[in-house]
Amino acid sequence: MEEIVFDVFARKSRGDPLSHIGYLSAPDAAMARVYAWKTYDEENWFEMCIVPRSAIIPVNREDGPFAANALVPAGGGSP
Amino acid sequence: MTGAEALSGGPPAGDPDLTSPGLEGSPDALRAAMGRLLLTLADTKRILGLRYSDWLLGAPAIEAGIAASSMAQDEWGHARLLYATLGDFGEDPRVLEHERDAANWTSLEVLDGPFEDWAQFVGRSLVVDAALAIALEGLKAGLYAPIDGRLAKMLAEEEFHRSLLEAWCTRLASGSTEARGRLGAAITGAFPAALRWVGPGDGPHARLREAGLTSGAPTLRAALVGRVRPFVRSLGLDLPGPASLDDDWDGTRARGAGQPDDDVVERARGDRNRALFVE
Repeated sequence: MEEIVFDVFARKSRGDPLSHIGYLSAPDAAMARVYAWKTYDEENWFEMCIVPRSAIIPVNREDGPFAANALVPAGGGSP
Repeated sequence: MTGAEALSGGPPAGDPDLTSPGLEGSPDALRAAMGRLLLTLADTKRILGLRYSDWLLGAPAIEAGIAASSMAQDEWGHARLLYATLGDFGEDPRVLEHERDAANWTSLEVLDGPFEDWAQFVGRSLVVDAALAIALEGLKAGLYAPIDGRLAKMLAEEEFHRSLLEAWCTRLASGSTEARGRLGAAITGAFPAALRWVGPGDGPHARLREAGLTSGAPTLRAALVGRVRPFVRSLGLDLPGPASLDDDWDGTRARGAGQPDDDVVERARGDRNRALFVE
């Protein structure tokens, strides 16, 4: 079963910053959408969205969960 | 006079609705019909929640198990609200929830036994969840005010259930031949009973329709077919027609013959813990 990792972002109220609240694995976006809503249901969220982790491009770090998507090869992006 | 007024206060003198065919001029009969509908909705949601809960730790993915847990909580919350409304009909919600024998439960017969595998979980739930949503939308289109404010949240939660179940059906239908066969059997096996249940068209249902408290049987059945068939056809499957009222319809309980298994009713009532801590 090929799974895709999705990161979950949400805000409690209109105007709040969108915060990273977790991640999950799912075979597709349709299932990930429901998993996100049902897994991270500890708040009455104003807004929630999900992003495939593969779509997140790191800007200044060469490590961490998004390193595999770096546009700049390791060592080439640090000041 | 609205249907809600008919239920709450009885008829003003000469109200033309109460002399119309099918209503039989009896507010008691109308109240009984509404109570029957609310009880079968509540019981079906309570048993469905337990069937969901059976798979919290056995789902194919941990996220699916978490979703099953959340759906179980949704269904139990909806059931609690529906049981509470039955207090308006002279029933004691506590007795309904905790003191009835299995033979008096009115849940849809599709849920009488456990889901044997994940294909049954998603296939049967797809059908039952859709039938529940259509029945609730039928009430929304009606005039029973006490429940109207509670329906929007229930229906919003049902939409997430639908998304999950359809996503899993799609996945199983594109899987192995065995998975596809089991899924098809689960959906087609559940559909005739669900189609009859959502719009039975018997005497009590006709009273509700005449009073504007729900939609007619053809409308409700067409709505269920319209909700489920396009998706099921997209999987390369199709749906059978309704079970007949002549087969095994129990008009008192608004469901087919039989009863949920003793284990699930015992859990629904909470017998063991109540015996220890409550009585």
